[in-house]
Amino acid sequence: MSSIILFEDIFVVDKIDPDGKKFDKVSRIEARSQNCDMYMLLDVNVEIYPMRVGDKFALALAHTLNLDGTPDTGYYTQGGRKSLADKFEYIMHGKLYKISDEGSGKTLKAEIYVSYGGLLMMLKGDPSYITQFELDQKLFLLMRKL
Amino acid sequence: MLQPQQSSQNLVFTKQPYIEDVGPRKIKSIQFSMMSESEIMKAAEVQVYLGQYYNSNRVPIQGGLLDPRMGPANKSCSCATCHGGFGDCPGHFGYLNLALPVYNVGYLSTILDVLKCICKSCSRILLDEKLCKEYLKKMRSPKMEALRKSDLMKSMVKKCSTMASKAMKCPRCGYINGMVKKAVGVLGIIHDLSKVNENEKECRSAISHTKESKASINAATYILNPVKVLFLFRRMTDEDCELLYLSDRPEKLIVTNIAVPPIAIRPSVIMDGSQSNENDITERLKRVIQANASLRQELLEASAAFKCLAGWDTLQVEVGQYINSDVRGVPFTMQVAKPLSGFVQRLKGKQGRFRGNLSGKRVEYTGRTVISPDPNLKITEVGIPIRMARILTYPERVSHHNIEKLRQCVRNGPDKYPGARMVRYPDGSARQVDRHLEDGDVVLFNRQPSLHRMSIMCHRARIMPWRTLRFNESVCNPYNADFDGDEMNMHVPQTEEARTEALMLMGVQNNLCTPKNGEILVASTQDFLTSSFLITRKDTFYDRAAFSLMCCYLGDGMDLIDLPTPAILKVVKFDMGIGEYLYIPIELWTGKQVFNVLLRPHANMRVYLNLTVKEKTYSNKLIRTEGDEEIRIDSMCPNDGFVYVRNSELISGQVGKATLGNGNKDGLYSVLLRDYGAHAAAVCMNRLAKLSARWIGNHGFSIGIDDVQPKEELIDKKKRLLSENYEVCNVKIKEFNEGKLQLKPGCDAAQTLEAVITDLLNRIREDAGKACMGGLPWRNSPLIMSQCGSKGSPINISQMVACVGQQSVGGRRAPNGFIDRSLPHFPRKSKAPAAKGFVANSFYSGLTATEFFFHTMGGREGLVDTAVKTADTGYMSRRLIKALEDLSIHYDNSVRNASGCIVQFLYGDDGMDPANMEGKSGDPLNFGRLLMKVEATCPVGENKYLSPEEISEMVRKLAEYGMNSDKCCSEAFIDSLRKFFEGRCDKLENKMKFIEDLSGDKNSDILEKVVHKTSGITARQLEVFMETCFSRYRLKKIEAGTAIGAIGAQSIGEPGTQMTLKTFHFAGVASMNITQGVPRIKEIINGAKRISTPIITAELECDYNENSARVVKSRIEKTVLGQVAKSIKIVMTSRLASIVITLDMQTIQDAHLCITADVVKESILQTPRIKVKEQHIKVLDFRKLEIFPSTEKSKIHFELHSLKKVLPMIMVKGIKTVERVVIAEKEKEKKKAKENEEEKKKYRLLVEGLVCLNF
Repeated sequence: MSSIILFEDIFVVDKIDPDGKKFDKVSRIEARSQNCDMYMLLDVNVEIYPMRVGDKFALALAHTLNLDGTPDTGYYTQGGRKSLADKFEYIMHGKLYKISDEGSGKTLKAEIYVSYGGLLMMLKGDPSYITQFELDQKLFLLMRKL
Repeated sequence: MLQPQQSSQNLVFTKQPYIEDVGPRKIKSIQFSMMSESEIMKAAEVQVYLGQYYNSNRVPIQGGLLDPRMGPANKSCSCATCHGGFGDCPGHFGYLNLALPVYNVGYLSTILDVLKCICKSCSRILLDEKLCKEYLKKMRSPKMEALRKSDLMKSMVKKCSTMASKAMKCPRCGYINGMVKKAVGVLGIIHDLSKVNENEKECRSAISHTKESKASINAATYILNPVKVLFLFRRMTDEDCELLYLSDRPEKLIVTNIAVPPIAIRPSVIMDGSQSNENDITERLKRVIQANASLRQELLEASAAFKCLAGWDTLQVEVGQYINSDVRGVPFTMQVAKPLSGFVQRLKGKQGRFRGNLSGKRVEYTGRTVISPDPNLKITEVGIPIRMARILTYPERVSHHNIEKLRQCVRNGPDKYPGARMVRYPDGSARQVDRHLEDGDVVLFNRQPSLHRMSIMCHRARIMPWRTLRFNESVCNPYNADFDGDEMNMHVPQTEEARTEALMLMGVQNNLCTPKNGEILVASTQDFLTSSFLITRKDTFYDRAAFSLMCCYLGDGMDLIDLPTPAILKVVKFDMGIGEYLYIPIELWTGKQVFNVLLRPHANMRVYLNLTVKEKTYSNKLIRTEGDEEIRIDSMCPNDGFVYVRNSELISGQVGKATLGNGNKDGLYSVLLRDYGAHAAAVCMNRLAKLSARWIGNHGFSIGIDDVQPKEELIDKKKRLLSENYEVCNVKIKEFNEGKLQLKPGCDAAQTLEAVITDLLNRIREDAGKACMGGLPWRNSPLIMSQCGSKGSPINISQMVACVGQQSVGGRRAPNGFIDRSLPHFPRKSKAPAAKGFVANSFYSGLTATEFFFHTMGGREGLVDTAVKTADTGYMSRRLIKALEDLSIHYDNSVRNASGCIVQFLYGDDGMDPANMEGKSGDPLNFGRLLMKVEATCPVGENKYLSPEEISEMVRKLAEYGMNSDKCCSEAFIDSLRKFFEGRCDKLENKMKFIEDLSGDKNSDILEKVVHKTSGITARQLEVFMETCFSRYRLKKIEAGTAIGAIGAQSIGEPGTQMTLKTFHFAGVASMNITQGVPRIKEIINGAKRISTPIITAELECDYNENSARVVKSRIEKTVLGQVAKSIKIVMTSRLASIVITLDMQTIQDAHLCITADVVKESILQTPRIKVKEQHIKVLDFRKLEIFPSTEKSKIHFELHSLKKVLPMIMVKGIKTVERVVIAEKEKEKKKAKENEEEKKKYRLLVEGLVCLNF
């Protein structure tokens, strides 16, 4: 299980649309995680998954939805097979396109950027949580409100 | 001859291959000359002496201008000489004998030159024997070029004429020669002997005996009539002719017999009645014959020689006009409004024989109609109407493969569509069928004005119903076409060779880029941009049905498509109300995923596009700075303005013009073209055109009145803005009227006021525009169009919604059409915004009558300018082309002209093809982009990252390899490559250093991993990168044979035509306008000595001190006495009168000038044409001096006043030609400003005038 999920934590929404509301259906949320002290910016389709400030949600990043850990084929197949998705409410699929760092030395923080078909995510925090990510990795983002 | 026959048995050619002639013949020389009297007579078949055409029976008169011996005059006659019909008689010459010889006007200047050089008595050269020998030796030298020889001749003429200008004795016969010049007002030459002394004496004494001795008859000038000149010329020796660079006898320059041209070149057209319409040349000849006849009559009468001259002059003029109808020197009485054209007119000008019939011809197999758009066509296609396809044909050679098709065509006949018009047997056995045009045929497509080579391109035909020529809108740009009624031309190449050549050289696919700067020209426009912009919006989501439909749009549903994984796979929790939830799966794809499919429809397509573009909407927010590097918000831009495509996946960004449009070197199509070839780019354009045309057709996109309705809030804000700024304007006007206005540097009060008011008014429009743009909802159509760049700008929108703004005419506010006011609706001398053309209303609210009038004034200026400028720029580009047309690249990489002279040793100093340059500033490659692509396409996988030292080492090795392997990469290129990596290495090194400090820490290896991941590079990536760099660089070299002269000329000429508005040609720096654009280019081409607005930018040695800049300024600027004098007074006492000058020391000190009375005295003395001498000036003290003019007492009053007038104009300081010097602030260099805050402003001088000529 843990090999499927690359990162998991519980986040709290700090702000919604920090730069003002720009799009009707999509909002950018600013959230901070409780365990790993990660900072996250995420575009969420609020039309189908409304978010409010103060919302608490569990977030997981996985490289496949198959519970047995077989890697994602890249081809999309529908079907009612049991998957990781069953436990979550909002799932996005996208690609990790950039890894960068901020600061230097001990205070160095790593950032990963993921684009879920144009809905972007930026996750910033301690480098140790970031090492397992690779560039051009296909990722599933799974969310569940708590 | 055997060989070609043999080969032709094996090979079948559609066109006879070119076989070089066995014995090549070389033309040694061609000599042009006039025909002599006897030659003309010999060549002629008939003497023409009657100025008549037909008799009453409509039969050409014998001996008349249409004598049948010169050829048949019309279809019913036959030639009396060769008995050929109207169609096959080539025509025969006649001749016309003149009663007296006349000058050939075409050679009048040559005749004059010859006459200047020879003695008017003995016909020998006026130079002495020794000099003659010397010149002859030079003239005979075979090494001398023709141009040098004619220069030599000119110098000889100059020498002789300067000698003759003050009476010259012939060294051989002793005759005294005067000056020879062209007669004024008549066609003739005069011999001016007025300077000859003895003659003058003789003349004077003669004149004194006549009654009208005071009359201004200059008896010393003799008219050199053609008979006299002919006599002189006949006596010239052959050696003298050679000396004067005449290749033939000079007497041929004088006309004694006229060759009457054959009727074939001056056809006679018979009108329906008894009228016939004669050619201009025939009419001219008729008049010559008439003048000749009357002259002959006069001669026969032989009464007075005086009378004879009049007839002779008439004949001279007639013969002159026969050759050149707008010859100068035609008497006023003989001038007509629209003269009959002469031979020169037949040849000269755009419609003349050379430019109109020989260089350019009317052609067959062409079509022309109105054009219309069709996004369903490929960019390489053109839709041709069936009715056009039925007329235009292509001769197809019959073979086994096409015989059935062609049979059907022949059966269909000429009128049924896939038919044929003709069957030909060009060489016996093989048949050719001139079949109708069919799909896939090669045609050339063109729109005038053809300003650059992309104005005519090769397309593939698509035969379609209806009546217009159609093409994909993406190709509008190179043709500069729109569909408001434009017409375009089409040509069908008729041989297989021509087709291939057209396709290879002129094919749309091979001309996506302009050779001007390598920017892409064929790209998406208008609707394609709008719909792409809307599709890639962040909040467009599609369900499975909609997404699949859109995927089908882009390839007509025929392409193989891999459906991507949806971006959102949410499971909606549906509350059933009883504590139970129903989970319904939702799949949503985003619009950006449509774009992914468009870029790479299926996995087998190996297109991995990588690019980043900043769109208009990009916020460019700074997140943080790391060292000297600024980290921008990039892809996380809240407006989604940063387009990032990684391995053909649109990661972020709403695509617009910067990505898809023309004129961006980092745009999507440019990158596709460079990385994957023209075909990939073209296919992508086709797909986008289809997708967007269909999508926008369903989605709908329109503009309505509600789009331009301002909100309450905006109306209020505008009102406030207007009243505030009007208030400020009024205050400024009041200050101006009271003379209290603070002046701007280099401006007077009126200019300052204008500048201030214009500034304020522009700010109103800008602020109103900003407020208006901010208040518009994102769905507003004009806003969408302006954001994505398809049409319109924020200014256009704010003009519709908020405020139209200031109207300008000739770069200023509306001028005064009435006395002291622009329109009678306003008070006189009003400077108020509304009175000078400020339009406060918007197009929505409607303009008042006066505003409307001002608006039309501005609009008219634009129209007039475009009308006037087209002719100007057209001529400019013609001259450019004519100057550069023969320059091309030779196989030794040098640029040479047609005669083989080297213009450049290496084209552009780097020998690169400008069409293939990828970098923005013309660099061959954009390393940053290329590295990004390599990094994205070569995954790291298990490979090891390199350390900084390893990187530098490897770069060095690879660079050396690239340098030495085939010596193709230039030093500069390798250097730039090295520099690029140095920067990167340094960054990595810095980061690694921090980590090394932490070594031992448990986190250190994690940190190292992260750093590697963020800015590391593997050996494989580096290798691939360098390899691509080298191989691409090699392909970017310019090919030998490229006509770079024409390319260069077109690259300057074509943008010139875009610069229409006059105001566009002036760019202002602190009220100092610089001429730019078309007028400047014209100046440069003309090589004008006195250029308009000459400005020198002078860098200062100490450029941070404004005061020192002022001191320098005052030294350079022209300062006159009037500017620094407090008073210049006339002082009159009973004993003496003088002028007292008092200097204004305050002003002098303010301007940092060192002017004292002594300086003024010096400068007065140095002024030319002033009668004041040293002893007349008395310096009273350092600021006062007195001038006592030294004239008789009676004139002293006038003298004083004239002095008083002159004195203020006397220059006391500076350089005469410098009218103005402006101190300009240098643009702050951002980095330096940050480094030390003290160094705030830097100054330099802008000097107006041609100073350097004086130093």
